[in-house]
Amino acid sequence: MSSRTEHLPTWWTASFLAALLGLLLLTAWQWRDGAPISANLLELLPGHSSDALQEQAEQRMQEPLNRDLALLVWHPQNQQTLALTAALAAELEGSGLYERVQWQLQPDLAAVREQLLAGRLALLGDAEREQLLAQPQVFVEARVQALFDPFSGSPLVPLAQDWFGLAQAIQNHPPQRARIRIDDSGALRIEHQGRDWTLLRARSSASAFDQQQPLLVAAQIAAARSRIEAAGGELLATGGLLYAAHGQQQARQESSLIGGISLLAGIALLLALFRSLRVLAAVLPVLVGVLSGAAACVVLFGQIHVLTLVLGASLIGVTLDFPLHYLSKSWGLQPWRATGALRRVLPGLSLALATNLIGYLALAFTPFPALTQVAIFSAAGLLGAFFCTLCLVPRLLNAPLRPWPAAVGFAERWLAGRERLLGRIGTPWLLGALLLFCTGGVLQLNFKDDLRQWIAAAPDLQHQAEQIGEIVGYQPTSQFLLVRAADEEALLGLERQVRDTLDQLVAEQRLGGYQALSQLLASPERQKELAAGLSRLAQHTDALLALGVEQHALEAEIAQLQALPVVDIEQALAGPLGEAWRPLWLGSDAQRGVASIVSLQGRIDSPALEQLAAGHEGVQLVDRPAQLNRLFAQTQIEAAELKLIACVLILALLWLPFGLRGALRCLSIPLLAALAALASLGWLGQPLTLFALFGLLLVTAIGVDYAILMRESIAGRAVSLLGTLLAAITTWLSFGLLALSQTPAVSSFGLAVSLGLLFSFLLAPWAASRQEAPSC
Amino acid sequence: MRALLLAALLLCTGVLQAETVDELEARLGALRPVNGSFIQEKHLRALPQPLTSTGLFELTPEHGLLWQVRSPLQQDYRIDDSGISRLTPQGWQEQPGRDAAAHQSRLFLSLLRGDRKRLEENFEVLYKGDDNAWQVELLPRSSLMRQVFTRISVEGSEHVERIELFETQGDRTLLRLTSQYR
Repeated sequence: MSSRTEHLPTWWTASFLAALLGLLLLTAWQWRDGAPISANLLELLPGHSSDALQEQAEQRMQEPLNRDLALLVWHPQNQQTLALTAALAAELEGSGLYERVQWQLQPDLAAVREQLLAGRLALLGDAEREQLLAQPQVFVEARVQALFDPFSGSPLVPLAQDWFGLAQAIQNHPPQRARIRIDDSGALRIEHQGRDWTLLRARSSASAFDQQQPLLVAAQIAAARSRIEAAGGELLATGGLLYAAHGQQQARQESSLIGGISLLAGIALLLALFRSLRVLAAVLPVLVGVLSGAAACVVLFGQIHVLTLVLGASLIGVTLDFPLHYLSKSWGLQPWRATGALRRVLPGLSLALATNLIGYLALAFTPFPALTQVAIFSAAGLLGAFFCTLCLVPRLLNAPLRPWPAAVGFAERWLAGRERLLGRIGTPWLLGALLLFCTGGVLQLNFKDDLRQWIAAAPDLQHQAEQIGEIVGYQPTSQFLLVRAADEEALLGLERQVRDTLDQLVAEQRLGGYQALSQLLASPERQKELAAGLSRLAQHTDALLALGVEQHALEAEIAQLQALPVVDIEQALAGPLGEAWRPLWLGSDAQRGVASIVSLQGRIDSPALEQLAAGHEGVQLVDRPAQLNRLFAQTQIEAAELKLIACVLILALLWLPFGLRGALRCLSIPLLAALAALASLGWLGQPLTLFALFGLLLVTAIGVDYAILMRESIAGRAVSLLGTLLAAITTWLSFGLLALSQTPAVSSFGLAVSLGLLFSFLLAPWAASRQEAPSC
Repeated sequence: MRALLLAALLLCTGVLQAETVDELEARLGALRPVNGSFIQEKHLRALPQPLTSTGLFELTPEHGLLWQVRSPLQQDYRIDDSGISRLTPQGWQEQPGRDAAAHQSRLFLSLLRGDRKRLEENFEVLYKGDDNAWQVELLPRSSLMRQVFTRISVEGSEHVERIELFETQGDRTLLRLTSQYR
């Protein structure tokens, strides 16, 4: 055995240290304003629309989902409910985290009165409009009856200006009956199942760069909750920010747990086997790797997504493999010298780096920004760890190592056992059995992907959101109909056609509800039609005349109504009655005409709406979740193609050192392992998610390392098997821990990779054929 | 809102005069079904003569208030836990604006149970006179209510006899009641 003392070139170490210093400075600068961590799911999702109008509409509908907070407060004593709400509102306002906090309204009745008067023809509801046109006599009689009605409510427009009651009809039958009322103190109230809640709405300030904001908001709400509960009250809260905070917290917890456990376990393993504190230098590549990965992500994307952080934590296990490549040779190559061992394993180590890089970078070409980030993080991390392993670690491990000798004995017994097994049952039989197992498992696979898998399960938040939806009677969604037409007349007409079907869907409980501009106002033609129809009203005024109203006053009112100018959409929206409708109007444009949004609420039957949109020219269903779920399915094929490309690249890479036969043999092991893992998922009844598929893509790259280690068999097969086992254990630790994640996508990824690596390890000894002498 | 306030007042004035808890409980204990007749006059600035309607009412703690307009037209209303309903050929039908009305009617029922605190939250309450001839003046506290009416005055002796509501715009509604215990 060689015992040449070789020295690591000093300039390697020097330049590495210089680069490391640069990396540290860069990281310090990047984290100067706190952790650049984002939890916004949208940043991870592919494909923004190429249609500018659709994009504008999507942003309009998404903004409240991301930035608004809805809070409900209740206390058995009404006075306390108000006091608690006021205190909460004051606290939110004082924190500076919100640009608007609202729980009290002081409606400007003068402005409402003015809009009612000017919009009598435009804003009158459909039922009253039809009655006025078809049965003017009945309309007038109902008006007289309402005047005597002791319970008809206080009219805002005085009788002398509203003899026919159009303004009062609009006031009494608002286009959307909200459950929210304004109480005498001006507070927004909702009564539900005997409890009278106050509603507080807050819009967070738009500070896209402040990643701390969701956490601050969540902490504030948690504190408010404990205070309100201590006072005997109850608080319900929902909003995108709270989900974001939950995601961030969850991811931080998970990544530190996964990272911490796999790092500690790795260190314990090193100490137990090599019995020298010096060996802890092998942890350095891990740290450098994580640091490089994070820095690269922040440079390229401006921030790291929490999902990347969790998936990236698994890099620890992979990077720890690098120094293990030569550390494990201390069992066979005695006296062991780090630099000497490094020289021997360098070709294999480089191959391992290259295959890993291929595997991770293949992820970068999927259409999912989420995986692109993971790929960049991991590739940069691998490079950092590799250079650390190459340039720094050998210098720190300059003394001879005396590893625990029993370990290699175990590896020898394992190999012997395998030989005996192969003596009884030949490889072809085993292969046949494995293929049978694979076929059986793959046949049971079911592919399932849903956007919800990307979000850490938050049952408590979900429960509160559902409760609030039930109490307020309104659950906003990101789905909507985009309606386009040449002019306002056509737009409102088209909306009315669509609404017929929507009403039907609501009645069938296939849609929670909707909101459309055409509920607020009538089209110009319908306003004119009503003005013309008023002439007939003049012949049916007997009931009003009987009250002592003078004929000329009625005639004057009809003339005044007929002279009302047509109210267009923008005018209707400008008044206080139009406030809730303003987000629905997308404006007009000389080229594209006019466009509006019909927002959809509650549960949504996507196929039915899809069909509705298909049946109306100019109507489009914008349904990002459904669109993404479709994209998931399409990406399966893409994942398979990437896998193929990765394999060809790895094959080309291995061809040089091992020849075509050897290369094919090395590659077939992780491929077979991936297949077996796929089959295991089938047998376990686990659905195959896109993330699991990508995990298997990674298995090809990492698993091929084990084959390379066994194929090269430096310092003997037993030592190589031991090295493979060590590498596999550290990697399993990190990926296996991912399987415990609360985020279904992450856990599915972890499970798939762990299974794949288990099979890779079991199959690795076949990489070195028995006929070929180990190249020791 | 206006009508409900009237109804609420109708029920709670007995409670309103109670100065101590004991007295309050004594009065509530004596609360018995009441019925009677009413004359409602709506004095609208725009009309030369008031809109006058008459009818019957019936008030029970269990079923709430039944309000039967008999002239110049016939229409029955009912106010109970679920809000305001109108009798139509198809049966009782809830009035639109149900949720706000339901709330108001619950306010009114809580008044029935002697929740004077609640009324004082919303009004400044001025008492005058004695048990034989008393008068209560209610001034709305919130600016929202003040935009609708300026004050409500209630008079009575054993029962409420007269309620007058003054609207900000100058219209007023006068309700005269003749009541008896059943």
